[in-house]
Amino acid sequence: MTEIVSLDWLALTVFVPLLGAVLSFLVPRIAPQIGLMTLALAGLCVTMLALQVIPGGPVIVALGGWGAPLGLDLRADGLAIIMLGMNVLVGGFVSLGALDTFSARHAGEESARMRRYFWPLWLLLLCGLNGAYLSTDIFNLYVMIEVIALAAIGLTVLTGRLDAMRAGLEYMFASMLGALLFLMAVGLAYLQAGRLDFAGLAVHAGEPAMMLAFALMLVGLALKTALFPLHFWLPNAHASASAPASALLSGLVLKASLYILLRFWVEIFGPGERIGMLVGAMGTGAIIWGSVQALRTQRLKLLVAWSTVAQIGLICVAFALAGTIGAQTAWQGAVLLMVAHAVAKAAMFLAAGRIAQETGHDRIADLDRSHLRPTLAQFAFALAAISLIGLPPSAGFAGKWLLMEGAMRAGAWIWVVVAMAGTLFSVAYLSRPLIGFLRFDRAPDPVGEHHGWAIADAPPLMLAVIAVISGLVAVQIIGVISIGAPFGAVP
Amino acid sequence: MIDVLIIFDLVLALAIIAIAAGVLVLRDAFAMIVCFVVFGLLSALAWVRLAAPDVALAEAAIGTGVTGALLLKTLAHLRGRTLSAPLRMDGPVLANASLCALATLAGIGALLATPIGGPGLEGLVAQNLLASGVEHPVTAVLLNYRAFDTLMEVVVLLVAIIAVWSVERGVTRAPAPVMGEVYAGFARLILPAAVIVGVYLLWVGAIAPGGAFQGGAVLAAIGLILLITRAYTPLPAHRGAARIAFVIGTALFAAVALFVAQGGRATFEYPAAYAKSLILIIEAVVTISIAATLAALFHGREPVAVTVREARA
Repeated sequence: MTEIVSLDWLALTVFVPLLGAVLSFLVPRIAPQIGLMTLALAGLCVTMLALQVIPGGPVIVALGGWGAPLGLDLRADGLAIIMLGMNVLVGGFVSLGALDTFSARHAGEESARMRRYFWPLWLLLLCGLNGAYLSTDIFNLYVMIEVIALAAIGLTVLTGRLDAMRAGLEYMFASMLGALLFLMAVGLAYLQAGRLDFAGLAVHAGEPAMMLAFALMLVGLALKTALFPLHFWLPNAHASASAPASALLSGLVLKASLYILLRFWVEIFGPGERIGMLVGAMGTGAIIWGSVQALRTQRLKLLVAWSTVAQIGLICVAFALAGTIGAQTAWQGAVLLMVAHAVAKAAMFLAAGRIAQETGHDRIADLDRSHLRPTLAQFAFALAAISLIGLPPSAGFAGKWLLMEGAMRAGAWIWVVVAMAGTLFSVAYLSRPLIGFLRFDRAPDPVGEHHGWAIADAPPLMLAVIAVISGLVAVQIIGVISIGAPFGAVP
Repeated sequence: MIDVLIIFDLVLALAIIAIAAGVLVLRDAFAMIVCFVVFGLLSALAWVRLAAPDVALAEAAIGTGVTGALLLKTLAHLRGRTLSAPLRMDGPVLANASLCALATLAGIGALLATPIGGPGLEGLVAQNLLASGVEHPVTAVLLNYRAFDTLMEVVVLLVAIIAVWSVERGVTRAPAPVMGEVYAGFARLILPAAVIVGVYLLWVGAIAPGGAFQGGAVLAAIGLILLITRAYTPLPAHRGAARIAFVIGTALFAAVALFVAQGGRATFEYPAAYAKSLILIIEAVVTISIAATLAALFHGREPVAVTVREARA
């Protein structure tokens, strides 16, 4: 259904961050103000788009008026709206957190440099992310993931420290390899189908070149999503970046490649159950390996980063249920988990950054020895942990529940066991810092109760509260996801 | 009777494979870069033989010229520290190699299974060429049908330069070698020619192979020569102008795309009467941005005032 509207909110969702980035690069002095204004405008665009999509169904804009397959179509259905909403919601709060992290209070050349460059990089990242969620063309998606990858690498190395540079370089190699595999797949698909739009490619699913194209895309996107065993670049990259950058990288960037994989899986390739089992097995490996590493690590930020590896694995379990009777429920669960993870993990990284800022270190073993207790940040961390573990009423709980319901419907009990095991693991590793927060007997000096509270605790705390209570609107979120039936009609 | 060109193609294909293997086997970084540049030039030739002159131009200008310059500059930064790791043939390498071979075999299989001269969009592109405002199909695809992709490619360059500028590498102690008089003379000869070639490539893009990326790369070469010969030294005071040069392509492209979307037209839908002028203006401005960005990428850092801390380092 094509709609002609007075203002093209759909295209503006991509263009507003782009123009905001240009402005913030041109006038670095007021970059934070431009950044916040852009986020507000992007939020407005997404809201207006949602107000069109929710009552009226999917909105499609044929850029240049050509229409696929000659031109490019942008499409916003319910699933895209949810992902865009996730971008501006999480992005908005992380931006507020970045205001403090990169504030002018911190004197010095390095701080000024980070303040200048954080905003253009982040706004360009937002432009790429929004574009990826609206795209219906595989070459266009390739360009989008290039924009996302370069901006994400820029954010990784923003601190300029040597460890961040090393991790960023590793991230860049992994990311470029993933993009090149993706590009090869685009070429193969065009060779076979003669077009690049989703609908035109879907007709050719199952032909040899398309199968190879899918295999290449699967590996490329798994690299970018850091799906076990291709996760090697993630922990160092996410742990060595500054707190807002980590929140964006872990919360938003990974979701884009996961979303693209999901769209391809459902809309174009529809690979068999065996491939689904393979991805599910990789997810299981991610849950186990990520959890074990999270249990072993000595640093708080590394723990949060390894938990991302495990949580991505859990989301990928949904692919194992593709093609079964429980597929639709499992997909919905996976999308809910993606959103829940974005909100909770952004909160957790911001909170971990605040804790490190107040206590001066992020060694897990020394958390209980400190007389400095930034209690608000620790509270935010704990709330985010509730959602990541999947306790009611958090969105994490709702997502996990749907995922397991899908597995039960399909009679695939093994995946219920995997999801349960993931939950137990996450309780185990997340309780390590929580115990440190709550033990007071090992502190040498009396612990100040309200020490280390700052206005900067507000963004992580608000995100964490949203993560916990958003399970209450899970039904409404699922209702929006279903607009345009991204996962096919109800069986 | 065997066609001479078939022999040429075979030799070219073998040479490309051999030189690619050479890049991988060689251990001397400078030799690797030289081989890589030769590889790029041969690939450009292959693209010409495949009747894709646009790709050939891009490969020669960007894939070979600018990339080779970037690699050599990086080597200069290493200052004698070459890649010393010997060529190993241990377990992981062999495992990787066999996996790559398997993937390549799968690729060959899949390629053989696809229809030769299969479906494509050439017909549609040709049908709509009149409405696109330009006569060269590649330009029509890049600047009209799929203009959004091209805008985002320009954004990729913008992200790259912002990311490079965001990294403060400090000033190296040893001064970079200044090129001698021969280079200055060379620059005097080559600069006017490069300007003409670059602008010609941009202009001719509307009707024949060429366009913003190729023209921009040639114009960037001017920047490279100016930087190498020290005819131009980036100063902190030039940052404002440089920023404008980096973003102006993206900004104008995006602004035009949004501006034309009125009176029932979609974003990027140029009015037919103005299509050609708009496309040419966009290409010209994008060329400036591409040239400035590529030259700045070669320079590799934001020109900031040298602080005490950096001078000590």
